[in-house]
Amino acid sequence: MTPSRLLLGVIAVITALMLQLAAIGRLPLPGAAPDLLLVLVLAFALAEGPMSGAVTGFLAGLLADCFASHELGRLSLAYALAGYVAGNLHDDTDRSTLQPFGAVATGALVALGAFSFEGLLLGDHRITWHAVARVAVSSVPYDVVLTPFVVPLVAGLVRRLDVDPLRRL
Amino acid sequence: MRGSRRTRLTLVLLLLTAFTLTALDYNSAQSGPLASLRRGIDTVFGPVQRAVGSASSSVGSALGGLPRLGSYQSDNKKLKLENDTLKGQLAAQAGLQCRYDQAVALQNFTNFTNYPTVPAHVIGVGASADFEWTATVDVGSLDGVKPAMTVVTGYGLVGRTLTVNRNTTVVLLISDPNSTVGGWLVGPDLIGFAKGKGSAPLNLSFSGRDVVKKGTVVLTVGSTYDAGIPVGTVTSTTYDPNGTIRTAQVAPFVDVTHLGLVGVIVQPRRTTPRAPFLPVAPGASPTSTPCPAGVPNGPVPTSRPTVTPRASVTPSSSPSPTRTP
Repeated sequence: MTPSRLLLGVIAVITALMLQLAAIGRLPLPGAAPDLLLVLVLAFALAEGPMSGAVTGFLAGLLADCFASHELGRLSLAYALAGYVAGNLHDDTDRSTLQPFGAVATGALVALGAFSFEGLLLGDHRITWHAVARVAVSSVPYDVVLTPFVVPLVAGLVRRLDVDPLRRL
Repeated sequence: MRGSRRTRLTLVLLLLTAFTLTALDYNSAQSGPLASLRRGIDTVFGPVQRAVGSASSSVGSALGGLPRLGSYQSDNKKLKLENDTLKGQLAAQAGLQCRYDQAVALQNFTNFTNYPTVPAHVIGVGASADFEWTATVDVGSLDGVKPAMTVVTGYGLVGRTLTVNRNTTVVLLISDPNSTVGGWLVGPDLIGFAKGKGSAPLNLSFSGRDVVKKGTVVLTVGSTYDAGIPVGTVTSTTYDPNGTIRTAQVAPFVDVTHLGLVGVIVQPRRTTPRAPFLPVAPGASPTSTPCPAGVPNGPVPTSRPTVTPRASVTPSSSPSPTRTP
């Protein structure tokens, strides 16, 4: 972990969150909005593995929690889990072009599942089957659409900063 | 994999930390160290969010003008460029006109209701789009906003303030499933509770056997919200032949998914007691006419308001029911 890598993470997360709150959440799209911050977390997980995915997810989620009206730590848990799962799905030997799409879709579904499950545990009656289904059929595909824009960008930036590409955790 | 055990341990620690935070926050809603962490984050990011919000709305209005560009193919590049610039300016002006109309409507609302409102711009919407129906506005405790204040547009009710920071405020919209509005059906004079249903119309449950017609206007009763603010109109009613509770679908006057300028009613709650009626000399007013049929007692608009949003300020032309400053 170099200081420049840390700086990249911080800037990327803050930029994504600000764009999400001010612009993406207000796009006139049918259904729920895409989640740029989650796609960013998954992109870091794909570029650097499960450890980076879990830690980035935790911190990004915590920051997003501060701007939401639910309890702190909920998105944090969901994103950390999603980052870990997506990081494990990544396989260096498989260089298929479709792999990042599958990983982002899985990660988005894991995050949705974890967030909804926590909501059920806490008795948040905003979590209904209807709302979960709506997000699953709108927000998750939108996240997959964001993949070809975010994932190569993050991978390129990380590769440029990483002096030793074999040092994967 | 080399670091797989370490990674798994880290993940478990992170998940435990996240869940501990959630549990702590669940128990201490508005106070405690976690609330001050939230407020601190807002103080840092509020100005950034505001800047990004205004930039993105101007980009959005410029983008909105693009599809309307003419489809003719002009050879003259210079002319085309000039055309683009002018179209962009027009779109920006349309945006300004829209803001102006909203401001005028809010001013009219304030004049009719006598409620002092602080104008505010919506600079963000809820972080997890479909579960939480909240909006962030660019006023805060600096502007005299406190939690549980009523938020309106010139056309009707938007919601109430939830978390108030120094520069920004989170507003719970009426469509949030956690939101309940005390609603008063004008005409049949019934009181019910309108619960938010996300993107679906509000669900107003009331008791009684009266027939509620389509198009009946719903105003707020003065409890959680300030009184007499238009909420919406009834679109359909469900009659359960066995039950005593009826449910009406209420289409809100304000589309909470497209908010621009809103107003926060900053009127403090009444502290002085209301003057009682005192007995007067007998025979003072035996000639007063009784209430005509169909018109209930109380401050009802003289003519039935139409369902257009603009007409929704009509109820307020009579003095507001409880609080006239």
